[in-house]
Amino acid sequence: PADTVDASQARVRSVPAPITDVARLCVCDLLVAQCDANCCCDPDCSPEDFSLFSTCSVPVVTGDSQLCSQKAAVYSLDVEANPPERIFKLIDQVNPSIFCIHATNYKQALYLKSPEIPTPENFDQLLDKFGGATFSAEPDTWNLDTAAQNPPDANETSKYEYGVPVQTEDAFLRLPSPVVSSWCSDANPAGFLVNQATKCIRSVSVEKCDSIKALSMLFYINSSILALTWFVLQVNITVQSIVVQSVNGMRTLLNSSDVLRLPMVLDELCINAVLGVNYHITHTDTGEIIEAAAAFVLGAISKEALSIEQSFEISFTQENTQPVPLSGNPGYVVGLPVRAGFQPQGYPFPAAFLFAALDLSSNKHSQLTILQSTSTQDCLAAQGARAPVLFGYNMVSGCKLRITAAMKCQPLAQTLLDVLKGQSFPEYVASFGNSQAQDVLDWVPITQLHISEQMISNTLQSSCQIPVSLGIEVKWTKYGSLVNPQARIVNVTATITTTTLKQLPSGRERIIPVTSSVVFTDISSPAEPSYKAWPTINIKLPFDFFYPFV
Amino acid sequence: NNSSQLSSLPLQILLYVNGIYYIFYFLATLAMIIYKSQVFSYPDDFLTPDLAVLFVMAILEVPRLYLGFKGNLTEAEAPLGLSLGLTVGSVVLCVYLLLWQTYVLWADVLLNAVLLAAYGLESGLKVTAITAFVS
Repeated sequence: PADTVDASQARVRSVPAPITDVARLCVCDLLVAQCDANCCCDPDCSPEDFSLFSTCSVPVVTGDSQLCSQKAAVYSLDVEANPPERIFKLIDQVNPSIFCIHATNYKQALYLKSPEIPTPENFDQLLDKFGGATFSAEPDTWNLDTAAQNPPDANETSKYEYGVPVQTEDAFLRLPSPVVSSWCSDANPAGFLVNQATKCIRSVSVEKCDSIKALSMLFYINSSILALTWFVLQVNITVQSIVVQSVNGMRTLLNSSDVLRLPMVLDELCINAVLGVNYHITHTDTGEIIEAAAAFVLGAISKEALSIEQSFEISFTQENTQPVPLSGNPGYVVGLPVRAGFQPQGYPFPAAFLFAALDLSSNKHSQLTILQSTSTQDCLAAQGARAPVLFGYNMVSGCKLRITAAMKCQPLAQTLLDVLKGQSFPEYVASFGNSQAQDVLDWVPITQLHISEQMISNTLQSSCQIPVSLGIEVKWTKYGSLVNPQARIVNVTATITTTTLKQLPSGRERIIPVTSSVVFTDISSPAEPSYKAWPTINIKLPFDFFYPFV
Repeated sequence: NNSSQLSSLPLQILLYVNGIYYIFYFLATLAMIIYKSQVFSYPDDFLTPDLAVLFVMAILEVPRLYLGFKGNLTEAEAPLGLSLGLTVGSVVLCVYLLLWQTYVLWADVLLNAVLLAAYGLESGLKVTAITAFVS
């Protein structure tokens, strides 16, 4: 019947009342119907459980301490008694301050605001306020419509910061990308220092190919980029290179890239249509853009094609530096490869000025890699398959080694060491995600340990030791401010465990598993917030204040 | 009292002390309202009535004390009666600040209680003075 439905709806509509009785409130009671360890206020704990506790994690439950007099529930453990028992006292806590709240006539003063429950009356208003993808307390200060923006003072030139859209003379530098569906949307601005690569589909028709703006090179380079976020200096986008892709997919690099090639219809094909743009923006270390170049891939669209896939990429390089992909700035970002390097050959020990040429030239050699498990699981066949060690991701991989009687120990040990460590196992690991090769102190040496699996062995020297496992332990810590901690690698230890290979009788085979693992351990000490000291007033009377009575 | 002088000396002293105490009371209550608005959640529609009451009370206090002085010194019962009437208004506002303010701190309770006691004593002395002047 309708009235019971209404009644149940009315019951559902109200938020449950907050518990304000301090005797029943328990913050550490997290497990339902189970006793929480060291939680003295947990109602699920029996006296036997209390006798096992070492301390009370929540000693006092009290209301707002600003009130002049309030109830407080005090929990403590009486360790003198045998067995230890919990003591529960309900006391009246008095605030001696003269500014304690004696009474309040404002109900919500001491409690958090209850959220509004949607009803048919206020639903539309709540939907307007909170129904979008984002909502914030402050009004949106950035909008795409530059005409509505208030320009800042001419004296104030703001440098680009990370994520700020790169501005051009009429709007923003656009990087077409798929939004919601795979179709290209031209309203996606490129953020400063945000390296992006997007692919999207654009609908085309060969007849109108010279009128579709997004297919012509001009659309991507005609507006020049502003060097700073407000109108000071403009940087023209130069054409770095043009690659022409033929209908069957072959790509050729054109010699002269200064001629602008516009799309046109030729033999039922639309040639010079833009299939991909690669922006390279060079910036200074103070956030000013000094150069912009675009590399194009032009292609031909056949008559039957109704849509083409365009790919766009943008990358930012700081001037006078090698574009080494960073794994974080400055702290490591989870999921990015751990950067590593070598000390240059010929130098016996590291010294500040000798460090300058850490080998970071190619990607593969500048990463810490681990053995990658393959489907065949055969160690000797898997040589060469390596996976990069990604920061924060613990990995275990392995393979199986078939040992026959005919195998000799030394070459086998060397092969296994190569399989585990790879061709070029680095010697140093970058402490921060953006460590430069010339900063010596930002690189952490990899400590190598050897553990022999059999501690008690009768024949130490003569038996054969082969490495069977490599464990890399990366210890990292949180570094920097409490609000925005950065991950920093402190210590890397590579432990090789060897085992004795017993000589097999001829004709027999043995399969031993070989494993390698990477573990990331957080050794950060808990953060200590520190407060600025209150200024103290030092009043001293002058030396002769009590003259002549002194 | 001398037979020729009907003005009440205790009332005069009390009015004088009341004036000084009121200045301190006004500044202290205003400072505490500012403190409360910073430390606690004090929305505008609760802050406005409290501030309004405080300022109305300050505005009432000036004619009240002036009429009290004048009536007592000139031994006229009309100004004193008017001052008594204004005292009733001040008492009501003081009771509001004691009981129905948004946040009543312990210091608020003390200040308002002293002021109420002063008003009560003053009213008693004014009534005595008026009966003395009339008769």
